[in-house]
Amino acid sequence: MKHLPKHLRPRWRYLAVGIETWPDADLGRRGFQRALWYAAGNLLGDAGSADADLTLLSFSHDGGEGEAIVRARHGHVDDARAVIGCVSDVDGDPVGIRVRGISGTVRACEERYMGRAGGNSTQRDVAFEDAERSAVVRGDARDVRTGSGYVGAAAFDTE
Amino acid sequence: MYEAVHAHPDGDATAARHAATAARYGYEGVVVRTREALDPAGSGGGPGRSPSEAAALREEYGIDVVDAVEIDADDATSASGAVGNYRSSRTVVCVVGGDDGLNRFAVEEPRVDVLVRPMDGSGDFNHVLAKAARDNGVHVEFDLGPLFRATGGKRVRALSDLRKLREIATYYDAPHVVSANPRSHLELRAPREVVAAAEAVGFDAEWVREGIRAWSEIAARNRERRSEAFIEPGVRRGRYEEDG
Repeated sequence: MKHLPKHLRPRWRYLAVGIETWPDADLGRRGFQRALWYAAGNLLGDAGSADADLTLLSFSHDGGEGEAIVRARHGHVDDARAVIGCVSDVDGDPVGIRVRGISGTVRACEERYMGRAGGNSTQRDVAFEDAERSAVVRGDARDVRTGSGYVGAAAFDTE
Repeated sequence: MYEAVHAHPDGDATAARHAATAARYGYEGVVVRTREALDPAGSGGGPGRSPSEAAALREEYGIDVVDAVEIDADDATSASGAVGNYRSSRTVVCVVGGDDGLNRFAVEEPRVDVLVRPMDGSGDFNHVLAKAARDNGVHVEFDLGPLFRATGGKRVRALSDLRKLREIATYYDAPHVVSANPRSHLELRAPREVVAAAEAVGFDAEWVREGIRAWSEIAARNRERRSEAFIEPGVRRGRYEEDG
C-alpha cells in the first residue's frame, strides 16, 4: 500500500528499557513482548493498550542483564512508563526493569541510552555469611547461589 | 525520594545490593525495614571506632541508608512491648497492620512512625483511625506492591482497598507514605515508574511524590530528635556564654 503522507503518520516515542534478572534466567524476545502486552492489557485495558501501542523494536539479554527499545505512541508515554514498571516477570523469571530514557528517534535512543552493559559476568567463589559460596560476579553485583535460589549481594557484602 | 525495602534475610537481596540499585535508579536513600539486615545506627561510629554499617554503605554508594524495624506482632500488647524496645535504637519504627486491633494500636501510638500494609489480610481502615493517625503523626503506608506484582483478582482487591484507604486518608489529611515494598533488587522500581503506575490507577502524581519523600522527612526528624543537641520539641542545646 502507498505509505501515508507525513502529517498523517503516527508519531512515536522510543523508550530505552534496562532489564535485570537472576543469572540463570533465559529471556526471549517473544516472551518479553508477550509480558509487555499482558501488562498493558491488565493495567490499561484493551482500549488503553491499543492507544499506547507498545511494540518491542530491539531486545537483547544475556547473563542476567539486558536492554530493549519499546515504541509507544507520542502522547502515551506516561502510560507506557507505567506499563513497563508493571512488568514483574517474564515466563516466570522475575525481572527488574527501568526506563533509562525516551527519544524521538530510534537512532538517538540507541546512541544515548543503549550499550551500557555492566561488563562480562564470571563465576567465582565468594565469602558470604561466613561461608564460601559460588556466585556470579557482574561489576559490583554478586548473585550468590544459596540453598533456596539466588541472593542478590554486592561487593560490599563479600569483602 | 526514598524507598523502604525488605533486605536479606527477609528478602532476596542484601541491604548493599538494594542501596546500589536504588542509587542507580535515582533514589536519594533507602529505608531498610528488616531488623536483621542492618546494625542500628547508634552502634559503632564515634572517634577511633569503625563507622556503623549504615554509614559505611552511605560512603560506598553515595546514598542515604536508614536503619528501621518492622514490628510484626500477633496483638497490640506484644506490639507495644516491641515498640518500647526498638524506639530507642532504631531511626524508623514501623508496625505491620493487617488486623483491626493492630491498626488501631499503631495509629494511637505517637512513638510509631509508620503503619505499614494496613489493608492486608483482614485489616480495614476507617475515619476513626484516620483522625487518630493525623493527631498522632503516624504515617499510613500505601503499599503499591500488588500493583506491580499481583495479577487478576488479587490485584483488583488490592487496588480497591488502596482506593478506599486513599479516600479516607486524604479526607482527614492523615500523613502518608508510598512504597512498592520491594523484596529484592529486581522488585525495586525507579521513582518515575512508581509515580506513573500510581497515576494510571487514579492517584495524584504530586501526592505520590509527597508519599515517597515522606520517608526522608521521617528519617530526618528522628535523627534530629536522637541527636545530642535535642532536648524536647522546640528546645535544643545551643551555644552559651562562658561565664553567664
